[in-house]
Amino acid sequence: MMAAKTTARAMGLSTFLKSLFSLYLFLTLFSKSSVECFNLDDQFEEELLIKPLNNDFVYAYFQFTTTWDVPFEAKSFQNCHLFPRVLGEVLGQYSVQELHLSLTQGLWRHEKYGYPVVDAPAGTEIWAWFKEGTKDVNKSWKMLTSALSGLFCASLNFVEPHNTLSPTLSFAPTGAVPPGVHSNSSLLRYSTLPREVVCTENLTPWKKLLPCDSKRGLATLLNAGHIYNTNYHSLGIHVRPICKDISCESTAVELKQTVSLVYDMLQVGSLSRDWSFRKLFGQGLSGPCPLASSSRVYVDTTQNGSIFEFQLRPEPKAVLKSIRGGATSKIAMYDLKTMHLVSLLNIAATYTGEKLEHVNISPVLYANRYIIGYGQENGGIVTKVINNHWQPLDIVYMENIPWFLPVYLHTFQAEVNGRQLVPHAINFVPGRERERPYQLEVALRIPARSTTTLSITFDYIFLKWQEYPPDANHGFYVGAAVITSSLPVARNYTGVPHDGSTLLTRSVLIHCLRQIFLNQDKSFENSIIRFCRND
Amino acid sequence: MYFLQIALMVAACCLSNVKTQTTHTNNWAVLVDTSRFWFNYRHVANVLSIYRSVKRLGIPDSQIILMVADDMACNPRNPRPATVFNNANQHINVYGDDVEVDYRGYEVTVENFVRLLTGRLPPGTPRSKQLLTDEGSNVLVYLTGHGGDGFLKFQDSEEITSQELADALEQMWEKRRYHEIFFMIDTCQAASMYEKFYSPNILAVASSLVGEDSLSHHVDPAIGVYIIDRYTYFALDFLEKVEPDSKQSMGEFLKVCPKQVCISTVGVRKDLFPRDPYKTPITDFFGALRPMEFTWAGLNLTEKNAKESALDRRIEKTTKSKMQYVQQFPTELFDDAKSFKL
Repeated sequence: MMAAKTTARAMGLSTFLKSLFSLYLFLTLFSKSSVECFNLDDQFEEELLIKPLNNDFVYAYFQFTTTWDVPFEAKSFQNCHLFPRVLGEVLGQYSVQELHLSLTQGLWRHEKYGYPVVDAPAGTEIWAWFKEGTKDVNKSWKMLTSALSGLFCASLNFVEPHNTLSPTLSFAPTGAVPPGVHSNSSLLRYSTLPREVVCTENLTPWKKLLPCDSKRGLATLLNAGHIYNTNYHSLGIHVRPICKDISCESTAVELKQTVSLVYDMLQVGSLSRDWSFRKLFGQGLSGPCPLASSSRVYVDTTQNGSIFEFQLRPEPKAVLKSIRGGATSKIAMYDLKTMHLVSLLNIAATYTGEKLEHVNISPVLYANRYIIGYGQENGGIVTKVINNHWQPLDIVYMENIPWFLPVYLHTFQAEVNGRQLVPHAINFVPGRERERPYQLEVALRIPARSTTTLSITFDYIFLKWQEYPPDANHGFYVGAAVITSSLPVARNYTGVPHDGSTLLTRSVLIHCLRQIFLNQDKSFENSIIRFCRND
Repeated sequence: MYFLQIALMVAACCLSNVKTQTTHTNNWAVLVDTSRFWFNYRHVANVLSIYRSVKRLGIPDSQIILMVADDMACNPRNPRPATVFNNANQHINVYGDDVEVDYRGYEVTVENFVRLLTGRLPPGTPRSKQLLTDEGSNVLVYLTGHGGDGFLKFQDSEEITSQELADALEQMWEKRRYHEIFFMIDTCQAASMYEKFYSPNILAVASSLVGEDSLSHHVDPAIGVYIIDRYTYFALDFLEKVEPDSKQSMGEFLKVCPKQVCISTVGVRKDLFPRDPYKTPITDFFGALRPMEFTWAGLNLTEKNAKESALDRRIEKTTKSKMQYVQQFPTELFDDAKSFKL
């Protein structure tokens, strides 16, 4: 064995690397026959949906879907093609069944915007199902969140047992699971970090998971300067196993990366409601990601001609009709794979008609939340759930209260027009100081056309001096309450016509919607202990 | 299973033009902003200036540990979201488009900083939050924030003393976690932080002497606060002219901010550093150029690891059974007769 010891400095390095690279190429080609081929049963789809909302808002939703025909387990991720190996390894290592992570800033105002494709509360929300037979779910959860904190540059390592829940009525697995798993909530972990900020440092690693990074395709539109001046922005990662076929004897892995943006057009640039790629994203689109099997831009034109009128340029090649739950939506489609772009594609909408009065058709179900009480001893949280439907609606309301706000179950009230509602089920896990949060889940049937007031009171307790954050003057944040419901009509519902999943999953999504409402983050100051609205 | 015999032909490259003998094998950077709150915007601009430079000169993000105590780029008070500038005329967006912050917000604590340096991190800490240096590592340590005589404040709520810092560096030396350290600090009375150092191979520079304030450069009326500190402003100015193959030395870099522009006196401590700074290329600390060693030895690239954990096998068994999608909403709860009557 002979070792040649040399020193390569700047000048010779590139020549050397070049020769090394050609050597590598040669070796790769030469040895191709003996190496087991990559499993190429994977595909990548990119979609952008633009939906002009009422009141001069524009909703842009990006969805990048990678599906891969392999079982969801550690072994599969040793050879990756389109699927990001770095994420796959983490999921395989900690025997994750399903993972949902969102990094959000701003408040999704359901009353104004309708329902988003993917709902997310402000800050960070993470929930994961672990596989059956996981030895120590708590440890896997801790390791998973630590690993993800490194992967996404987020403070997910602050997810601890004292802010983790295992809901039993909400957050059923969205993917294909072995029979019986969904009733075992000991495999589910849910946590929120409502104070977490989101900025370019989260977007950078998020983009690196895409097959084309941000070099080609729709991801080139994701420019930090144009994302972070929006009223609402949310990054999401959703991984789940999906059925390969109707029989569902084997599964494939699906990774969905999403970005939701809400622009206030009057703030973004000129004083008109006109929007274009250049105005929204700062640049036009050069073409699809070459690795994508489909690359499409959708513009929701359902309200075009009724509430407002706009002209799309270039003209869409096709207009799709999508019928969900009794509501029809018209969607203009641009297929980037078949378009021959000579210059940058800049889809623009010019509003033509008179600016009509703002007509706001509220969604069927939405909620508001605020803090009540004064003084330094106790207070309460009130959530108002508004049902606009002509029939009663069944909801599951989940509250996630940190340990430093001990709530009293006997003070829980669900009131409609002075009458008390009797919950169908209550699941309450009392918190323990510094160990676990208070978890309250209530199943309720709320009457037609009503406003239901849900309230619960709590105490303020003393913290140790080191438990205050360095900016305690800013207050403490309480995570979002989550309301789950199965809606009878799809009014105000937003969806991509073809969402890159199998048919089976879509049929589930049509009938079931989950809404997560984060209303104002509540905060209290430690010097003068009081609550203030902070939104 | 197959063998890949890699025979690396060593190109006759530049064996002769190595002027200064350097024996480090890798470069790392630990860049820390310890200040929270909007009025400390300048400290974030400081740390990002150095981040930008080391990244531009070739240290990969995986070898840069960036600690930023507050979010300035996406702060609601920032009129230009997702940017941090070094200058009111917006010369350089030091935040950039592909920044990766490793420790942020409440994670920037004295404990985490000392744990990072000494490598005593809790299990499960991701690689991006670890300083995986060895005895061949040249480490650039840059600190900025509010300091006093013998201490540096973290987040306006705790301090690290100069003695604690010196002990942490000594522990690094004992654990062979560095080859050489270039220590930079931009705070008031900055020189007090390196006075207690007693470990070898450390070159230190501070923006001000004990008893002196370190001053900021100028105000940006658009953000309403000072945008960057003097010392780092001129350091960035110098580093912008450095390229990976530049010949500038550490000696030149140490003189980057003379008293008439800095107003404070830049302090330098050379006694622990055995080399002559004028013969030390600046890229020894700010770049990632390093000597390489080639070998003729064979490399065994095995195709598959036959070992499978028991868990994997069990999971494989369960995936064979029929899977299903489950109901997203527990409708069965509402089926019973005692439901609410209108």
